[in-house]
Amino acid sequence: MNIYSVLFVGVGGDGIITASNVVAYACMFAGFDVKKSEIHGMSQRGGSVSASVRYGDRVYSSTDKMGSVQFMLATEKVEMLRWVRYLNNDSIVVVNDRIVPIIGQTIDESNIDGMIETVKVRRLIKRKFIDDANKLGNARLVNTVMLGLLSRFMGIDEKYFVDAIDQVLPEKLKTINQFAFSYGLKLSEEYA
Amino acid sequence: MGLKVIKKIISGNQAISIGAYKGNARFGSGYPGTPSSEILEHFKNYPNVIAQWAPNEKAGFEAALGASIAGTRSFATMKHVGLNVAADPLMTASYTGVNAGFVVVTADDPGMHSSQNEQDNRRYAKFAKVPLIEPSDPFEAMAFMQYAFVVSEKFDTPVILRSTTRISHSLGVVQFDPRTLDNEQDLKLEKDFRKYVMIPANAILRHKVVLDRLEKLKAFSNETPINKIEKGKTNFGIITSSMAYNYVKELLPDAHVFKVGFSYPMPIEKMREFVNKFDRVVVVEELEPFMEEELKVAGINVEGKKYFPYDGEFNLDIVEEGLKKADLIREETTKVVFNEFELPKRPPALCPGCPHRPIFDILHSLGRNIFITGDIGCYTLGCLPPLSAMHTTVCMGASISMGVGASKVQSEQKVVAVIGDSTFFHTGIQPLIDAYINNANMTVIILDNRITAMTGGQPDPGSGFNLKGESVKPIRIYDLVKSIGIERVYEVDQYDYENTKKFLKEEINKPGLSVIIPTRPCVLAPKKIKETPLVVVPDKCIGCKRCLRIACPAIDFKDNKAIIDEVLCTGCEVCMHVCPIEGAIVKKEEK
Repeated sequence: MNIYSVLFVGVGGDGIITASNVVAYACMFAGFDVKKSEIHGMSQRGGSVSASVRYGDRVYSSTDKMGSVQFMLATEKVEMLRWVRYLNNDSIVVVNDRIVPIIGQTIDESNIDGMIETVKVRRLIKRKFIDDANKLGNARLVNTVMLGLLSRFMGIDEKYFVDAIDQVLPEKLKTINQFAFSYGLKLSEEYA
Repeated sequence: MGLKVIKKIISGNQAISIGAYKGNARFGSGYPGTPSSEILEHFKNYPNVIAQWAPNEKAGFEAALGASIAGTRSFATMKHVGLNVAADPLMTASYTGVNAGFVVVTADDPGMHSSQNEQDNRRYAKFAKVPLIEPSDPFEAMAFMQYAFVVSEKFDTPVILRSTTRISHSLGVVQFDPRTLDNEQDLKLEKDFRKYVMIPANAILRHKVVLDRLEKLKAFSNETPINKIEKGKTNFGIITSSMAYNYVKELLPDAHVFKVGFSYPMPIEKMREFVNKFDRVVVVEELEPFMEEELKVAGINVEGKKYFPYDGEFNLDIVEEGLKKADLIREETTKVVFNEFELPKRPPALCPGCPHRPIFDILHSLGRNIFITGDIGCYTLGCLPPLSAMHTTVCMGASISMGVGASKVQSEQKVVAVIGDSTFFHTGIQPLIDAYINNANMTVIILDNRITAMTGGQPDPGSGFNLKGESVKPIRIYDLVKSIGIERVYEVDQYDYENTKKFLKEEINKPGLSVIIPTRPCVLAPKKIKETPLVVVPDKCIGCKRCLRIACPAIDFKDNKAIIDEVLCTGCEVCMHVCPIEGAIVKKEEK
């Protein structure tokens, strides 16, 4: 029984719910059974947020087992590290090179980067994706760019993601997000 | 009409609302509470249904029961602790039974993602002698909800459908015909004095009916297809339900599994047969040993909680550990290869611009001689450092009533109760009457942001609109409180920090009862509020960190100076008011 998993981690307001919905639909369109979990409530008030999309022939649990996650999309570096126990040496991690401050705490960025260095996975792509999104004209496209890049490693065809974006996003955001996705997918050539 | 099947990825809560609609339910009521809130929010979108928020779960439950007796299939939704509030009607609705089908949806919160306890509401089914149905994923949530109405009518009983956070907020692929399949006409309103008027003479007879019904339900539990055996290849068996079922199936794909969907009364005879086939049978259930106890009372030899925790939410790792302890798994399926880092925690915080912030900053600054009884809502976050301005939180409405007791037995500490508007309408009004008629010496602060914010912005009686988005005349809390007879009732604008502080200090130190209503609305709902952001003038900032003490996510500190994130800042100006240096924090345009 093969189950694959994409773990999304970040901070409340990062758009993780929407990004994970897009992946869930892409997996369903590609013919997989899908389960997804997300946590509402307190986490909306700026706390740590996570969502999991698990896909395979038959998926039961909506949450992951430690050491089992193949793919991680992290919108922030501290949160990536917080979930490190779910990764293994074969995982692919796409992380936005950014830190969201925590009230009353001083975070030493070089220290965080040093910790990330020690996480030996198959592939860890850390990049200021916000620059890519800004280049496309809208900072809110950052997750979709990251998704495009990650999709190359997931082996799920672009057409399923295009349909998924069509399904999940409001009308006026569809085209621009489909474009951002293609941009991200193209970006993956740099990391091939 | 042919089938019109659609395939979607939906949440457990959306699935419950679809099941209700397909099951011909036309009336839904309840009170918002994580993780149950989205059920009615989805249900309201169906044609020809009545969906409404009640001021509390008891009122919502009773409205749905009334609709049932009047001939319409109905349901009430609530979080687990909400059923405590509705426990009173539940215990007696069991006696009255129903006319049209009536389902009580309780969404439990194992792991307390957003709750004050993790009680296991399966206990209520046994307590009230009503059937309990438990889905394990969104598909089942839809199908079982529909089925619950059938069971309700067949056995003349309220039915409890129990979800958990992980079922309500997990999404799965569901194929369904979105139309209502059951085209039965509504029943006629039923007037039956013996059945619905629970005076002792009638209730004595009805209790016997309930006991008789329970026997029939026991037999039914052995027959219903939602209690099913999934054959495997092992020499042991597993009995499980709800989310735990999913973990078992992934960790032990070859095991014989008794999957329980109708969990009270338990399918005891079917289970006895199942257990007799194997060397060992282990019960895997989240929270309480509810099934294990039932089985043991029936003299059936099973194991369970000696391998698994009684507390917290299950997951694949916890269930695997238990199965290892039980010697049913030898090797871990995956190994942890990376050690946890020591990282700063990221706790939830009041939003930038939140109107609760100045009140807690003021209460904190008033010193050690006040005792602050708190309540349930976003503002419970006022208990966390650095605001640290709350000394009790127990349940909805308890701020005022606990304050009454605390103010009566001592006078060294001034008592301040803090409660939100939705919580005040829920169960705060009676405690305020208690404070008034018993001459409590206290100050009650009703944080009136005119929305149920914590659960995602559902309207309350002060909002001016209802669940369907229709405009309604709001109840003004000031008028309501005045009508009780309380004399010292004041509305204040808490963004006017200095005056609010001065006024609060005076009122708290006066003898007698006063009610203060800060009136600024929520910055998130019903509409996002964003005004000109503030900026720090670096040359003037002395790095005293006073502004950091208001715990605003928009304020950070770098190179010995405060900085404000312009994107996050809503322009509430509270930081500017607490800053000791004139002109160190200013509106952006004035810079």
